[in-house]
Amino acid sequence: MLKSIIRKEILNNLFSYKFSIIIILSTILILVSIFVMYGDYCLALDNYEILQQESEGTIAVIRPTPLSIFAKGLDENLCRSYGSGFGGQISVSSKQQSVNDLFKLFTTPDLLYVVKVILSLCAMLFAFDIICGEKEVGTLRQSLSNSLKRPILIFGKWVGGFISFILPFFIAVLLGTIFVTLSPMVEMSARNWAKLGLFLLSSVVYLAVFFSLGLLISCLTHHSSASLVFSLFVWAIFVFLIPNLGNILAHQLVRIPTVQQLELRLEKSSIRRDFEKHRIDKSQDSRIDNRIRAENEKFIDDYLNRLNRLVKVSRNITRMSPLTAFTLLATDAMGTGVAEERRLKRAILQHRDILRDWDDEKGDRPVFSYRRSSVKEVLGRGGLGNFLILILFNVLFFAGAYVIFLRYDVR
Amino acid sequence: MLKTIIKREFLNNIINLRFMVGLVLCVIITVACIIILAHDYRQKIEDYYLRVNLKDEILSNYATRGRIIAMYPDQKPPERFRPLIIGISGDENVESFYDNPLPILFPPFDFLFIVTIIMSLLAILFSYDAITGEKQRGTLRLVISNSISRTKVLLGKFIGGTASLLIPFILSLLVGALYISMNPSIHWDGSAWAEFILLTAASVTFITLFYLLGLMISAFSRYSSTSILNCLFLWVLLILVIPNLCPYISAHLCPIPSIKETKRKVSEISIRSKAIAREYMRESVKRFRSHYGKLWSEFESMELGGIGSWYLGRKDAGPEHREAAHQRAAADPEFKAMMDAFREEFEKVQKEQLRLQGEPTKKIWNELKTKAALQTKLAKNLACISPFANFVYVARDLTGTGLRSMEYFVQVQREYYTQFDKYLDKQVQKAEKTDPTFTWKSFLDLSDRPRFVFKEEALKDKLIEVLPYWGILVLFNVVFFVAAFAGFMIYDVR
Repeated sequence: MLKSIIRKEILNNLFSYKFSIIIILSTILILVSIFVMYGDYCLALDNYEILQQESEGTIAVIRPTPLSIFAKGLDENLCRSYGSGFGGQISVSSKQQSVNDLFKLFTTPDLLYVVKVILSLCAMLFAFDIICGEKEVGTLRQSLSNSLKRPILIFGKWVGGFISFILPFFIAVLLGTIFVTLSPMVEMSARNWAKLGLFLLSSVVYLAVFFSLGLLISCLTHHSSASLVFSLFVWAIFVFLIPNLGNILAHQLVRIPTVQQLELRLEKSSIRRDFEKHRIDKSQDSRIDNRIRAENEKFIDDYLNRLNRLVKVSRNITRMSPLTAFTLLATDAMGTGVAEERRLKRAILQHRDILRDWDDEKGDRPVFSYRRSSVKEVLGRGGLGNFLILILFNVLFFAGAYVIFLRYDVR
Repeated sequence: MLKTIIKREFLNNIINLRFMVGLVLCVIITVACIIILAHDYRQKIEDYYLRVNLKDEILSNYATRGRIIAMYPDQKPPERFRPLIIGISGDENVESFYDNPLPILFPPFDFLFIVTIIMSLLAILFSYDAITGEKQRGTLRLVISNSISRTKVLLGKFIGGTASLLIPFILSLLVGALYISMNPSIHWDGSAWAEFILLTAASVTFITLFYLLGLMISAFSRYSSTSILNCLFLWVLLILVIPNLCPYISAHLCPIPSIKETKRKVSEISIRSKAIAREYMRESVKRFRSHYGKLWSEFESMELGGIGSWYLGRKDAGPEHREAAHQRAAADPEFKAMMDAFREEFEKVQKEQLRLQGEPTKKIWNELKTKAALQTKLAKNLACISPFANFVYVARDLTGTGLRSMEYFVQVQREYYTQFDKYLDKQVQKAEKTDPTFTWKSFLDLSDRPRFVFKEEALKDKLIEVLPYWGILVLFNVVFFVAAFAGFMIYDVR
């Protein structure tokens, strides 16, 4: 019986107008996004080649990952050139796109954005009338008048509906991936394939959350018009409101000076150091250097402690929305996330210390080498937690839909 | 009759579930957003004054000619509309090793978001079944069978529908305005309130545009279920796809040279010009040595009093050497003449080096700026096919939170720099006259310096800038209404 329901649901969806619209939308969007982001990746590669040739004063520069085509995240930040500034501070080069101001107004249209915003909406549109729609046309009553158990019906509807929704997504992603891998600029290692696999898996789980949520709302309402209104309301809250408002709220809970203030303090230290050095005996230079360095480190430590706390608080608040858990997991999986950024910064600071102690008489200048995290490392460093949060959302929404459907008035 | 239709449409809407949902959503989100952003604004103001004081402290205690260039006051106060709209000159745009990555992953939430995402969605939800819904219920047939023109029906639906849609929006804005006026840390003058009213008017234009989009789709559909899908499809394209793709498309169509590559070219020019200057300086030293003989050797033992040491690849002279050279010059006119001639020679070399470096460097940067401006302009014009982009330009430029305000700030800053440069030259000349040992590293008294004051751009100028984009929004309204009208004229009401 379960098979028949799944089959009926898939066939029903395949012939519906909704399916045509969503397949057109997702295919166009995914292909255009991958094509545009591929061009962006080529630009980033060009920039990297130039940065790499520049060795004077450069501590580190890393190659952009081809996975940024799918989820750009912080890759533009990560791939800047890191150099040594005044007092051993790390200076960063400008981002390539910092000259086109319009990038500051709009969002990056990568696959991550398409999945987290647009396809999540499509998932809800697929599911919002799964139960109440059938009730309105009267087929739900007829189905349940047979010897069909409600758990089997709702499970069959979920599976059939979700398969028909996720199919166009996979076809479009497959086409996009073939285009990317066939292009000469992209080299996908086995590690990258594993990461892409994790990204796709988390995308499916994330979309399933919204599908289950749509099902839950459909079970809670008796008219598809009401279900649609509630679905859009809840979608706006989960996708836009909680992640954005949560960040602002976290800023209120953890007071942190702006990065401009920090940079200004460091600049002041540097100026003061030069000023004082010029006015006293040269033998005192190292004493001044050490004192100023200790002061700077104190500022920076205090700032970084606050920043870490802010990131933690913000992450905890915003993870009330599946979008945050998915964004963090997806960007970390692709090596363009917050965890990767921290890891890279730690490596750069360590390398700076090595360079500080390096004596050119002892041998060649140490070269900075960095490898982005593997899937195992990503899962170990909070990725698994985010994945479990997505599963939990799924279980919660589906269980809610199941319980409500058991008592649903089908008349 | 028109009045009756408006009234009926209005009442029908406000007893509907979507009105209640819209009201709750709008009021809660807008008020929560304004309260949180107002609190954030207070923190930004505190941070701004801290930075201003810090710069003041540096300029008062550690100002030297050599490092003063890095210390030009360039602090932009937080935008006065920050309790409503977050400006684009935030922390996320600062190039720093210690920047906060979260705003890149989760862009901030403000009034613009409420209007562009939530209100546009609500507008579509209010209008997608304005015609199809009535047709499905059978009431459209009854209405049209009376002696009423279709134009009046459509107009009545538009006025009644938008009125019921705008109630939650205006109500939440009124509550927000009340909070802003009562908040002691926000001081809005008449021009700010005028901008607020204009912003509300622009938002209304944007919201009615999406209401009309829904109405138009409804006039071309037979079923509400088809209408809503088409509406959401267009909404996704207009709000989420087109504006975000445009900067990338323009980057492909109109590429710009890499910043790092540009910096490398500039650095090459600087190295070349410095090498020429050094060579010239070494020649001068040879000439002075052969001309002055012993007197020159004595001057060299004083590390040339710190004059041109960098160009000659020597260590900078200490204060004791400068003092010794100064005293020796005061005692011996011949020594003083040699020292003055050498200083003159050094200044000539310095000027020549600046000439060699200045023009080509300026040309390279100008080339980058021109190309970047072209790319930005292309992206901006491409994005105009989306009402979202037009509204963002209007709202941001009107409230001083967008690209134009950044350009305006740079312009104000440049004017201040010119003024400050003149003041600085005067101070340096004064110091050189009173203290012969004065160098680039000596302390400069800048206590009577001109202070940087940022004033908002005049409302008239802002309005002139935003009118074309506002015009496009109005045009979208007209096009959608005309299309809805055309669709409804041939609509089969049976």
